[in-house]
Amino acid sequence: MINNLDKSKDLFKSSVEKAKKYQNTYNAFVTILDESNEIETNHVLNKVPYALKDNFSTSNILTTGSSNILKNYVPVYDATVYRKLKEAGALLVGKTVLDELAMGGTSLTGHTGPVLNPYDTSRQIGGSSGGSAAAVALNIVPFSIGSDTGDSVRKPASYAGVIGFKPTYGRISRYGLFAFASSLDHVAVFAKSTKDIAIVTDTIKGRDNLDMTTLPDEGYNYSDLLEEQIENKKLCYIKEIINKDMINSEDIELGKTTKLFFETLEKLEKIGFTIEEKSMDKELLKAIYPTYLTISCAEATSNNANLTGIQFGVRGIGESIEEIMIDARTKGFSELIKRRFIIGSYILQKENQEKLFLNAGRVRRLIVENTKELFKDYAGLILPASGGIAPLIKDSSDQVTDRLSDRSLILENHLAIGNFGGFPSITLPMGLVDNLPVGINITSEVLTDCELLKIANVVEKEINFKYLKED
Amino acid sequence: MQIEKLKKYAKLLMFDMNENEYKILQSEFDVILKQMDLIGQIKDLDKVKPMTFPFELNSDYLREDEYENTITTEQFLTNVTEKSQNQVKVPKVVDND
Repeated sequence: MINNLDKSKDLFKSSVEKAKKYQNTYNAFVTILDESNEIETNHVLNKVPYALKDNFSTSNILTTGSSNILKNYVPVYDATVYRKLKEAGALLVGKTVLDELAMGGTSLTGHTGPVLNPYDTSRQIGGSSGGSAAAVALNIVPFSIGSDTGDSVRKPASYAGVIGFKPTYGRISRYGLFAFASSLDHVAVFAKSTKDIAIVTDTIKGRDNLDMTTLPDEGYNYSDLLEEQIENKKLCYIKEIINKDMINSEDIELGKTTKLFFETLEKLEKIGFTIEEKSMDKELLKAIYPTYLTISCAEATSNNANLTGIQFGVRGIGESIEEIMIDARTKGFSELIKRRFIIGSYILQKENQEKLFLNAGRVRRLIVENTKELFKDYAGLILPASGGIAPLIKDSSDQVTDRLSDRSLILENHLAIGNFGGFPSITLPMGLVDNLPVGINITSEVLTDCELLKIANVVEKEINFKYLKED
Repeated sequence: MQIEKLKKYAKLLMFDMNENEYKILQSEFDVILKQMDLIGQIKDLDKVKPMTFPFELNSDYLREDEYENTITTEQFLTNVTEKSQNQVKVPKVVDND
């Protein structure tokens, strides 16, 4: 863990060596750096290597968003997160692969190829922050940064067997993060202990004049308070998302995951947590995914209108400005995200705005209000982060979806509730199913980040997950 | 969903796809529209105010109104493929006629 690192050793060099060693097999990185700008600081992250998702702006370092349209783009400014880590003395090892422009959940769609799961290379790792998840799971770096719009850190954390945390919306500046869906986008952190998650979050959180949606500073560090007493140890799960009957599901993998989940809850009850079953309108829960799809595609369509290849990015060929832009966007975007943009455009057509876009906003409010009702009594919502293990790549599709079952609509998408309401939310490894990791997620009321991390710290110790060892 | 409509949306977004890609998207739309119907099935939606942001954010501060040049012209032009005389070069946009 970060506090125990031997800083007399060249941690940067050994991280770069590991990154290169694993690159051919797992493809976690778009860019691996050969040099670092070491500075001396008193910060705990001084000389600690880390990886950054390739949708954070890093001056003088290629930043592609894993898209062909930006394959030559070298930013001239730093994302606030990168600047703060640099000032702390942390050392950037490389920029990690994501689903193109963060629009996907498999990490199979980046322009430099798919990220493979460290536990099993025939499986995906989830997305869109798959490269950052892999970099931590493979012990290349002790922590990494991702972004989370629907579950893009908390789902890969489940499939890669690491911890993934996104704090309250606005807690960490989004300045310099390529916008996907601005009202849902969060900066998030991967690590292998809650303590490390807290240390990194402490370093990068805070109000930023360059992002007017950032929250006022709290004036304390989460990492200092982790061992303090937990105020409320009551948690709940929603039976329409997960319940004991699902242990006997015909879907064997779901059954095993459910069994592991309820065994984990029993362990937590033995150490003083109260965990109760609650209910939420199933129709509302089934609307989570279409609501997410509607809002995110509509916002993405607008946010990515700046990618024309004229001022930056790969320029197209043509006789007029229009032809140049059309050529750049036709060649620069993959089929997958073109489809998402078209869905967004459809939603934003005047005749569909009321029925789709505004109604999705209304459903978003209902889901958030229903969740907030639970937070009046409970410190958090505890649920499986996924309905099973990482899917096989041959079974994976990033088509917007071929799925209408309850498992895919509800269980595989409930983490988006955390983005709808801006709630802090953390995924921790819960154990193995068929030798592959699955995660447990806890989500709490906005501004209760510190309480959530205190709970996660206890849960982590009780589960005592054995992380992948180095080769 | 008619393919012609999809082509219209793509044109508005300033890109094109091949015929096969449009066909895939057309079949995908069958599922998407069924999923979107789930939104419409929620009762009394008309009484709810659409949510556009995770929570009410009361920003009680404003930046000082100070002039700041965030990047230089030279920096800006580093990512421009075609440039001339310190400016971005594009084909002529005004017709002589």
